[in-house]
Amino acid sequence: MGKKSRDLIPPGLAYLADNITNKHNVLGESKTSGAKWAKDLKIPRESETIFFAGCGYQYTRKLESLMSLVRGMDKSVVGAELPMSIAIFQKKLGVDLAGVYGKLLSRGDDTEAQPLRDAVKVLRSLGVDFGYLADEEPCCGGLLHYIGLQDDFAKNAQEVYRKLKSHGVKRIIGIVPSCTYALRNLIPACVDGYDLEVKHFSEVVLENIGSKELRFPKEVKVTYHDPCQMVRYLGLTDAPRQVLKAIKGIDLVETEWTKGEWATCCGGGGGFEAVFPELSHILAVNRASELVETGAQIIVTHCPGCIMQLNAGLKDLKKDNVEVLDLAQVVAMAIGA
Amino acid sequence: MSVFTDYKKEIMDAAHNDRIRVALSRAIKSYRANTNDALKKFPHTVKMAEEVRGIKEKAIGEMEELAEQASKAIESNKGKAYIARTAEDALGIIDKLVGQHKLIVKGKSMTGEEIGLREHLEEHGNEVYETDLGEFIIQKLGSRPMHILSPAIHVPKEDVAKLFSKITGQELPPDIGTLVATARNLLREKYFKADVGISGANVVAADTGTLFIIENEGNIRLATGAPPVHIALIGMEKLVPTLGDAYKVAEVTWRYANYTVPSYVSLISGPSKTGDIEKVTTYGAHGPKEFHVVFMDAGRTSLAKNPILRQVLYCLRCGGCLYECPVFAVTAGHFGDKYFAGMGAVWAAMLSGDVEKGAAVAYTCLTCGRCKNRCPMKIDTPEMIIELRRFLIEGN
Repeated sequence: MGKKSRDLIPPGLAYLADNITNKHNVLGESKTSGAKWAKDLKIPRESETIFFAGCGYQYTRKLESLMSLVRGMDKSVVGAELPMSIAIFQKKLGVDLAGVYGKLLSRGDDTEAQPLRDAVKVLRSLGVDFGYLADEEPCCGGLLHYIGLQDDFAKNAQEVYRKLKSHGVKRIIGIVPSCTYALRNLIPACVDGYDLEVKHFSEVVLENIGSKELRFPKEVKVTYHDPCQMVRYLGLTDAPRQVLKAIKGIDLVETEWTKGEWATCCGGGGGFEAVFPELSHILAVNRASELVETGAQIIVTHCPGCIMQLNAGLKDLKKDNVEVLDLAQVVAMAIGA
Repeated sequence: MSVFTDYKKEIMDAAHNDRIRVALSRAIKSYRANTNDALKKFPHTVKMAEEVRGIKEKAIGEMEELAEQASKAIESNKGKAYIARTAEDALGIIDKLVGQHKLIVKGKSMTGEEIGLREHLEEHGNEVYETDLGEFIIQKLGSRPMHILSPAIHVPKEDVAKLFSKITGQELPPDIGTLVATARNLLREKYFKADVGISGANVVAADTGTLFIIENEGNIRLATGAPPVHIALIGMEKLVPTLGDAYKVAEVTWRYANYTVPSYVSLISGPSKTGDIEKVTTYGAHGPKEFHVVFMDAGRTSLAKNPILRQVLYCLRCGGCLYECPVFAVTAGHFGDKYFAGMGAVWAAMLSGDVEKGAAVAYTCLTCGRCKNRCPMKIDTPEMIIELRRFLIEGN
């Protein structure tokens, strides 16, 4: 049947896969830099229930700068010739990624990973006990599965399970939809006797919200963007909407066709932005304009990838009066946490 | 990596073509509204689709037996049936039946597209007319189809007017009614002069050997009815056990293709015949005297053994998935190969044997899953795409 090999993986994805298998996170960063966001929050490390932060939010700024770099490459210099590995390209242009990150990080680490900090606040104020593994948190490796590197994914899955068990973990609260799906569905398929209970943040919030008074600081029109992994993988369309509907001051306005199970992908699905960065951006603009048409001032979603894409889309549409927030941020504001 | 490079360039050119985007956004809007209406009017379709999924799952495991059974039925109806193992076999069989320097009228067929049938016949010195309006436009433009049901979905009326003006030598306005009438006039006499009519089929009942062909334009009725010879090229995945099964497949197909009911469904089981003079059955009355059916395998029976990728063979070709694909919405059929979007990736790699193109198309899928939501057969394209990527990298 001819050629079968890793050569068929587009370079952008091969680069990300390599980071997961060798550095245990998508960006190839050191683990301690990822865990920085939680430093002053004093979350216990060991606990039967852990909060799983995932790569996306921990490295948001870095991902954003990496993607704008890649988009630039895709558009200008290489065009049709792009299939060149990002790493090689970096060397060729002498681009110092660490330096690029540094500049973008000048805004300070405190604005980074805000959804994670808010999620922690929300869970605490709802009386949920949990720990956070910080630099010991493994990468779920989900991207390896989507790339088709199933052997690597299975190997990673076993390591993930071993590590979680070694910390006495029994229950996981996920926030990034794709990590949550990996921990709930994909990893169990590769591990005998997998016995961890996995819930998504929105489910935990809904369970514990009870009669708590939730009020948004101002009257606002909000629309909800269902991340693919939330709606068509985890099957969670109601939980986030019920949470939003429980918040006074929020008027939920939705698109006519493209909501819930019919939601349009932001263009970042399955590592797509690393293969077709420019096309991915076009799709982000399309999705952003569908959502803007609702007249909402805030787009609530629940995935670091979607947030990044939608922000890029809004920028292109020059809609700086529309904000993209994670559900955790909205609930934190409404709870007064 | 040149396959990927060329492909990526094609995709990006398409993505920057505003005309494609405008044409598709209109098409998507009306598809959703029409399908919604059709399903509201005939709500039993959803349940029927589940039943059809069961019929297809079973039939795909029995293609060999069903092809044998259908062939016997067609022969007993005084038609001729052939089983082609490869695309080359199919072309060889059709070559022998057609000969050279013939006038051929052809209905739209994705299976024909898959094996390059029209080009092949033209290379062999035949004059071939595509009779489906969209396909006719594509043929005259020297382009390739961009959607399985609406091949010229990316061509706006202004471009059609320009094209038809060139063909007729008259200045034609970009008025759709005028353009449709022009195509009718251009093709009218061809049906009656043609030596051969060629079609595909949407579904085939193995017990009676009956072909179901769904259409709206009436071109298939003419192309399969007027010439003295009718040849049908059909992928083996179109076979189902009974006439009753075939009807269900047909109804679900047209409903998800956004029609409450199509203008025409032709049921063809053999050559035309009459017994009106002394009750002596005589073949070749008003319709064709010869009826030939070529069932083509070309990798299908082998693909049917793959528990995940076999799902492509359940496809009814309603085209619904394409309207839900965010990438297709800006690139049309450039995202694909012979077939389009995620389905097209599996088809390219596993049936056309073009591994590099298959991989390139596979990595263009977002795995977002909205297509699965639309699909009446609930084909899990993301699951297939991830398995295909794995298969291409790791092998079995």
